[in-house]
Amino acid sequence: MSCENEQERISLLVDGKLPDDERENVLAHTGMCRECGTQLASLQMQRAILRKMAQTAVPDVVAARLIVLASHERERQLARASVRERMRRLVAKVELSFQNMMRPVALPVTGGVFSTLLLFGMMMPSLNFAHQTGGYDFSTAPQGSIVVSPWNLGADDDTADVPVFASRIDTKSDYVNIVNLTIDESGRVADWSVVRGQLTDEMKDIIMFSRFEPATTFGLPTSGIIQVRQGLPPCKYTSCSATVRG
Amino acid sequence: MATSILDLSTQKALEGADSDDLRLIEGLRSGAAQAYEELLARFQQPVYALALRLLDDPSESADVVQEVFLKVFRSIGAFRGQSSLKTWIYRITVNEAHNSRRWFFRHRRKEVELDSEPQEARNWKELIPDGRLSPFDAAFEREQHVMIETALAKLSPIFREAVVLRDITDMSYEEIAEVLGVSLGTVKSRILRGREALRAELAGTLQDRPAPRLVPKTAE
Repeated sequence: MSCENEQERISLLVDGKLPDDERENVLAHTGMCRECGTQLASLQMQRAILRKMAQTAVPDVVAARLIVLASHERERQLARASVRERMRRLVAKVELSFQNMMRPVALPVTGGVFSTLLLFGMMMPSLNFAHQTGGYDFSTAPQGSIVVSPWNLGADDDTADVPVFASRIDTKSDYVNIVNLTIDESGRVADWSVVRGQLTDEMKDIIMFSRFEPATTFGLPTSGIIQVRQGLPPCKYTSCSATVRG
Repeated sequence: MATSILDLSTQKALEGADSDDLRLIEGLRSGAAQAYEELLARFQQPVYALALRLLDDPSESADVVQEVFLKVFRSIGAFRGQSSLKTWIYRITVNEAHNSRRWFFRHRRKEVELDSEPQEARNWKELIPDGRLSPFDAAFEREQHVMIETALAKLSPIFREAVVLRDITDMSYEEIAEVLGVSLGTVKSRILRGREALRAELAGTLQDRPAPRLVPKTAE
């Protein structure tokens, strides 16, 4: 029996893969042949040492990574199971993302809303809105009536000559003299401009001595423009129109 | 009738797997948490040990193990059961280790590792010595393992795979043939030549070592 041929059989003997009769032959040979006996012993010891190396512990980091991987893959597997499950998980994912996104801003937003409501509530009593407009317009033009005028200061019989003011400005009408008067909040003439014709003495009297009901907006007096038109004699003042500005 | 045909075909398709494997596979396919846990409990340690012995690099082995389980989880639906679950997973491990080794030789061969002591990166649990062994036994065992690992690393990958699958993972010749995709005779030949090469490598290592010298010193 050649030792060259015995090597394979010794290897099979170590693995327990030899039939009984061959096993006996190989054992007999290794008992007589020192070299093959040494080889058998060394292979057995080598295998025993290698078997011990199978007990290598998995590092904790690797084990943790595998658990995370398994969890993700399981979720993926479940999501693929049905459309309903996929939709449910999608909704849950969106909901979670939204909650995660809102969590950092939830407290500031809530605090901001509550503080705004608190401050606004504290300011409410001090606010004074001119809302009482029941039956009234939000804005009015300077009324076409002269409160104080040269005509009604001393001579009551001249009231027939007091001009009547219209409610709109009209530059196309056939009047000789047209003057725009700017009436301030107190009803006095603050400015004037000649639109047509010339500034007559009567117009000057109106500018100097007249007082008007001021225009209003939201119930508060404001400035406005009133137009005074002077027609041909004997009709001194025929009409007037006004507009609110401001 | 249609159901019985379907059942027969399923049974036939998974005939290589045993009942435990079948239950585990069904659990994995249905997404049962217990099946995922069981798969990890059964295979993470042997797969890691196999990858570590094939690659001799803990970080590479960790990556390979992760890749292996990723492939297992994603391909379990396509597993037809022509081999056992264990053989299938080990075949994936061997292939992934082979890919990793090829990638290593292509890309990372010239890299220099800054951390020359990877043991320091382990956590405290792994650094606690085994209380069951005496310091001498522990040192002796560690020395043995280092020598074997060094010798294994010098073997040709083809022979190393065969030796590791047989002697470390304790697989049968038939299972090794399935894992490696070779014939039974080739498996026997590779195991024989791998063992001989390993023995020769170890003998050479021992012969190269200088004998310990004891120098007597007086106590101070």
